[in-house]
Amino acid sequence: MSNTALDRKFDRIRALEEAGKLKPASGSRAIRKMMSNRLAMVGVVIFMTILLASIFAPLLTSHDPLKVDLRSMLQTPSSEHIFGTDRTGRDVFARVLYGGRVSILVGLGSALIAALVGVGIGCYTGYKGGWIDMIALRVSEIFMSFPQIILVLLLVSIAGQSLANLIIIFVLTGWGGMYRLSRARMLSLREEEYVQALQSFGVPTLKICYKHILPNALGPIMVNVTLTTAMFILAEAGLSFLGLGVPLHIPTWGNILNVAQDLRVLQHNWWLWLPVGSVISLFVLSVNFIGDGLRDSADPTIQG
Amino acid sequence: MGLHMLTFIIRRLFITIPMLIIISFLVYLGLELTPGDAVSHMIDPEVANTVSPEQLQAIRESLGLDKSFMHRYLVWLTNILQGNFGHSLSGGVAITTIVLDRLPATLELSIFALVFSTLIGCLLGTISALRRGSTTDSTLTVVGMLGVSIPEFFFGLVAILIFALNLGWLPAGGRLLPGYDSLMDRLPHIILPGLVLSLMMTAGVMRYARSAMLDSLSREFIRTARSKGLPEWRINLVHGFRVAITPVVVLIGFRLPTLIGGSVIIEQVFQWPGIGSEFIGAVRGADYPLVMMIALLSVFAVLLASLIVDVLTALIDPRVRLG
Repeated sequence: MSNTALDRKFDRIRALEEAGKLKPASGSRAIRKMMSNRLAMVGVVIFMTILLASIFAPLLTSHDPLKVDLRSMLQTPSSEHIFGTDRTGRDVFARVLYGGRVSILVGLGSALIAALVGVGIGCYTGYKGGWIDMIALRVSEIFMSFPQIILVLLLVSIAGQSLANLIIIFVLTGWGGMYRLSRARMLSLREEEYVQALQSFGVPTLKICYKHILPNALGPIMVNVTLTTAMFILAEAGLSFLGLGVPLHIPTWGNILNVAQDLRVLQHNWWLWLPVGSVISLFVLSVNFIGDGLRDSADPTIQG
Repeated sequence: MGLHMLTFIIRRLFITIPMLIIISFLVYLGLELTPGDAVSHMIDPEVANTVSPEQLQAIRESLGLDKSFMHRYLVWLTNILQGNFGHSLSGGVAITTIVLDRLPATLELSIFALVFSTLIGCLLGTISALRRGSTTDSTLTVVGMLGVSIPEFFFGLVAILIFALNLGWLPAGGRLLPGYDSLMDRLPHIILPGLVLSLMMTAGVMRYARSAMLDSLSREFIRTARSKGLPEWRINLVHGFRVAITPVVVLIGFRLPTLIGGSVIIEQVFQWPGIGSEFIGAVRGADYPLVMMIALLSVFAVLLASLIVDVLTALIDPRVRLG
């Protein structure tokens, strides 16, 4: 924002203040900044809508996502089947809702566990330094030398396909980024004066690390969690689309899209893949909007 | 390029080479953990019953499979260093042959995407930076966000549906038909996968180019140029862009590994006969030696790319310490 625009903004605020229309600001500055970010709010609305629709799937549809009905195969969307039915007569709308549960669980769950592991290691080793830091750094470098998808597929081929395996594999491929981030924050924060004060009081290392320093590094970590969630949801979709992710009998967004590998389905049965593809895109977009909003609100140098 | 640069490169190699050795060890360990060994894969399951355990043991001994783990690992590593990557389980084709066969297709696709995404990304990023805060800028930001949010294969499917199946302008997949290998025969095949892959990567380049350009435009020399009375386009494009391009060039190097990974799914969607679709085929067919070797080669490519990027950064930017 140029200076004149900023001046005009402040003038407007002052005018409002003098007219007595402005209440004193309340609540956290970061939250207020987030609330005023229009894209982030759009993101929150889309995110919550899709999340709640998945959680309360039984209230929104009476169809069973797994029930095969050979009398109603490949029906076009109607009031009975909002997104139509697939080749075995299963209701696609119900599959998208119930599939969302698994896809969001895999994406968000893996990102949170990866954050827990990465931040847990990064905070401690970054604070302690020395040989333990060196080892953790080298191990993370090994993991990060693989292109993400190659490492995921490599581990899938060794471990086999299952929901739990997929989450473990995502955590293994995702902790490195979180570790790097929290370690870097730690290296600068540990030099702060309040840390020296805590040390001189004889506060235990673990307490200094996780209770006193970690909260100051949470902003960038939260941003990273959202971006990682987006990445894992895309990865799950891609893997399941290839038939190498979550086992095919469990409905997930990627597994629903799996049928679109067939060019005939692609051309003639758009309802089997277009709605679910759009839902994935919207959901990931909303997560990215939220992540961007968080980034701005966590950064004090950006005016909000 | 002086003595400093040479010691810098040697120092980097001292980190990179042990890393490669550790990774090769882990990959070999993974290979050992997978079910079966070379002998059980060599023998047809139907014939396996007729072979006595003693005979199997004899074959294992003749192949050196009875030796210790470390011994076998060292033999395996020596073979790799001599260019012998072992054999694929399906058909027993030498992995070296497969890789050499598939690599050109992947390189073709990657370079196409690299060039296009860089051109479009730099162009849009610069426009975005020059019109900072405008509708164009925020539209481009949202479009860029959309670009990283749509699953690449979904975007590919939509592109196939529109341009190949409905309009019939371009082929839906494949690289070339036997006997048709002139440029005009090849070009239509690469356009769809190439553009889909580039557009997915453009968003990152755009974002980077925008911030690099903004950074460059806020520097002192821009004010100097303006005070000299130069025309605005000259200030932006000649003075601003020239400085902004340096980090973008470095970014291109960093994109190489992303490209290797990113093309895996796109290759599969468009039936592009590259390393990526071979890799997926190997994972599906539980062809472990092939899976491991392609993974190892991709790590090699990543480490090599990051080494080159570091050296280039040091060459371009004198502020980088070589310590």
